[in-house]
Formats: sequence, structure tokens, C-alpha cells
Amino acid sequence: MAVNRALELLRSSKKVTLVDLDFVEPFYTLRGLKPFLQEQGLTVIAWGREDSFGLGETGSLVTPPARWAMWRSGDIILDVGYGAHGAASLNLVEGALESEELKVWAVINTARPMTSTVGDIVDYVQGLQRVDGLINNSHLGDLTTIEFVAEGLLIVRKAAKILNLPVIYTAVEKRLEPELPVADLGPSPVKVISRYMPAARW
Amino acid sequence: MDKPVTGTKKVFMTGNETVAWAALAAGADIMFGYPITPQNEIMHYWTRLGTKYGRDFLQTEDEISAGFTVCGAIIAGKKAFTATAGPGNTLMQEPFSMAEAMRLPTVAIIQQRGGPSSGTVIYSQQEVTLTTYGGNGEGHRIVYSTATHQEIYDYTIKAFNNAWKYRFPTFVLGDGYQAKMREPLEIYDPEARNIEMVIPSPLVGLPGRIGIEREPQHLCNIYSLEDELYEVVLQLQAEYDRMAPELEEYQCRECDDAEILVVSHGVVSRSADDAVRFLRAQGIKAGAFRPITLRPFPGRALREILQTGVKKMLIVESAYGQLARLLQQEIYGENVPVETLLMPGVGIIDADIISKVKSLIH
Repeated sequence: MAVNRALELLRSSKKVTLVDLDFVEPFYTLRGLKPFLQEQGLTVIAWGREDSFGLGETGSLVTPPARWAMWRSGDIILDVGYGAHGAASLNLVEGALESEELKVWAVINTARPMTSTVGDIVDYVQGLQRVDGLINNSHLGDLTTIEFVAEGLLIVRKAAKILNLPVIYTAVEKRLEPELPVADLGPSPVKVISRYMPAARW
Repeated sequence: MDKPVTGTKKVFMTGNETVAWAALAAGADIMFGYPITPQNEIMHYWTRLGTKYGRDFLQTEDEISAGFTVCGAIIAGKKAFTATAGPGNTLMQEPFSMAEAMRLPTVAIIQQRGGPSSGTVIYSQQEVTLTTYGGNGEGHRIVYSTATHQEIYDYTIKAFNNAWKYRFPTFVLGDGYQAKMREPLEIYDPEARNIEMVIPSPLVGLPGRIGIEREPQHLCNIYSLEDELYEVVLQLQAEYDRMAPELEEYQCRECDDAEILVVSHGVVSRSADDAVRFLRAQGIKAGAFRPITLRPFPGRALREILQTGVKKMLIVESAYGQLARLLQQEIYGENVPVETLLMPGVGIIDADIISKVKSLIH
């Protein structure tokens, strides 16, 4: 989702920075994609293979450019993502929690059992420090159907109402784009996304 | 209390999360553990989920203690398990050996990381020897090697049942890639699929007067005399041999007329399957054999396949010969030449296997 958003912003903005704030498994995420994303014109702040080689487990730390990322000009995407602490890691980014420009969006997949029901989503989002909106990214990888996305949206909408948060948009994989006209996704916005992570294998 | 899983549900999650759900569905009472990557999220999810369903967790001071507390809880009649990796697996060999000696149905999920020692936190298949034959015994264990998240779910449930049914320590051998990646699977209530879960019961403090109404329950891991131990180990071996044919599992792809047989296990077998599909499309008679149980090893099945015209075997693993050694001892005497593709601690993709197979036939 972060990669898609960053590439989308790149089409209308000259300066976009994507920051990988996954401190739990920094070697699993953008490492394989970094050169590709840089070729597209993105500034990527993430550990690369060459940066982490030889560091062992001491390589699992915040990089100085990530800590000061909010001081950059242009659009900035912080991928807080994976890990037990979730959005709590935002406190490591100077100025993030005080920023009025920053929006925190929680990406919800109802195929994950811990966010599969309205109650579970409400509990999960309330456990995060700050959330300004929900994104419905309900999917089953290669097995996703447009019906599954629509069912997910119904659940996410109900949770958003209880949380008093907007549903920012629903993400639909490019493969399912032809089915959008007949899908029952209601009035909320839809964004067609590409799956980049399968290519992230190193 | 509600069941953690009712009916069947399609989900998308990591391998570690899958283990936690499978253990819940299998009715596990308690997990004991000590943190180590790449299995940490099994503990994270278990602690989050377990409390919702009345299950317990104890983080011990180290892995030796985690293994022994699993043994203790089982003796008290609890369905207990642990999860570990790499150096943690090394430390747990002492309690796992005791479980072999006392016939304790321990269940351990091993998410292999790179070795030796702390190696990498990421991935390898270098814990095959340790998990199958670690400890100072004869490897009287059940070891399932999974390839997909669906299998992690299915075999974790099966591990609890077979551990309690056969009373041998049982392992689900995954790896860091499986632990961390997300993929779709179906989670289900075992009862909804007519899988009858074994109900655990205490192994000590049994009803009835000892010597009058029942034999003494003697869970022993030390003997005074050599010939006492000799008798016990021979009996263990006899029971293991009797059980083995009921437990051995394997998968074959295009084995019937294969001239070159790719043998791999776990996540690497997914690459082997893709490679075989590609090679077959090019007219190369390749097949893939995958042991699902590494202990007991499905050696009988492999020997039969080798009789059907296999001209060469290629053993592929993310280790330097651990599967190869296991396999060669099981098929000793067969004269099919064995080649290897050994890449310790790194992933193996279909292209690696395809190019190796082509180099062998040209």
C-alpha cells in the first residue's frame, strides 16, 4: 500500500520520499525493491543489502535519514507496517507525532483473523496511538475475488462508523479492475493497486 | 467459552500467525517459550489470542527451561507446546531427549534460521539433523516438514494428535521464509472436518492402587545398569518401527516415468515443483519427490519410485547435505547416482534447479 501510494504521488509531485519504518524485520521488506523504486524517481529511505551486510542483528535500528525524514520537503510516506509495536514506532521519527500535515491511515485486511470482524477492527485501531482514517485492503493474495473485497468493505465501514473515522478508500488489485463496474463497492473511493511485494524477494 | 475457529474460514496471514491459530484450534492449553527470531510472532500471537480463549503462556528464562516446562506440563496432563529456532533448538535438545526417554508427547514448532550458531535470523534448512537426530538418543521423534501455510495449519493440528497418540516428541519444521511471508489458507475447526482431537490426561497421579489395580507409572530417563537401558532402547526402537509405516508421508510430482528425480523438502519443494513443471514442458522427464515426514523418513516409498526407471537423483536443499545424508542412509544399497544442489542458508528458486538439471543431462 505504501509503495502504491508513493508511486501515485510521484505522478503529481516531483519529490516523494518513502520511508521504511519496519524496525522488527528491516531485511524482509523493501530491500529487494529499493533499486526499482529509486529508478522510478522515488527517494527511498530503507536498509539496502549493501548497507546491512556484515552488521548482524545490530543492523536492526533506525537510520538517521529515517529519524529526520519529516524535515524533508515534498511528500513523505512513512510505512509503519509490520511488528508488535505498530504505530508506536512513529515516536522515533522527529516531529511525526506533532505534525499537523501527517495523516495516519490504518490499512485493514479482513482476511487477517485479528481484524476480521467489526469488533476486532475497533479493538485493533483503538490500540494504535493515532489513526485518522481506514483503508479497506481486504484480500486473499492470488485468491482474492471482487466479492471478498466488497464483503471486507462492509465490515470496515461499520468499524469506521463506530470509530468515527472516514474510509479513505478501498484498494483493488489491478487484476480485478475489469470487475469493478459490476462490483458493489458503494460510494467510497476505489484505488487500483499493483502488487509489488512478490518481486521483493532478494 | 467460544471456539477460536468455527467451521472453515479463508484467511491471509503469516506462517507464525498460522501456527498460533492452529495450536488454538488443536486445543493446546499452554505455550512455553523464549524469544528468538524468526519464531517470535508465534509467541506474540499466542499471548494476544490465548488469553481470549482461556489458554496460558509462560516465558521462561531460557530455551532449556522452556523445553523442560513443556515436559512438566505434559506430565500434568496439559496439551503443551513450544516454538524455537537455531541456537534455541540446540538448547532444547536436552528436554527433547528427556521427552524421548519418557515418551512425552511434546510438540515443538521449529522455524529454521541460518547456522552455525546465531547464523542469520532469516532462513535456512540447516536444522534437519538437529531436529531429526539431535540429543543423545536414537532420533525417536516425529518430524513434519511443511511447505505451505495450509500445511503449517494442518500439520500443527496433526502434530498434537500424533504426539499424544504415539507418545513420541513431535516437531513441525518450518523456516524463516514460511514464518514471515503471508499467503492465503483455510483455517478450520478440526471437529468440523471429523478430525477427532486426542484429549490429554495426566501421566502421573493416576487412579487405582499401584501393584493391585494398575502397574506403576514409571517415567524414567536414567537407569542403573547398561542392560536395563539396552532393553528400554530396543523396546523404544521396536515401537518406533511399528509406528513408522502409519506415519510416513510424502508427495510425488510426475514420479511415474521420471528419469531425473529432484528430491527436496519444505519450502524448497515448491521451487522443485515449479522446476519440474517447466522441465516437463520442455520434454525433460523430471519428477519431484518430497518427504513430508523427515522422521520417520518415507524410505520405502522412495525405494519403490527408484525402481521405476529413475536414472539420476538430484537432492536440493538450503543446507550443506543434511537432507542428503538423511536420504542416503535410508536408501543405502540403491545404485541410482546422486547429485546435489546445496545452498546453505539461502533461498532456492526454480531457475536454480532448472539450470542444475540441465547441466546434468547435457
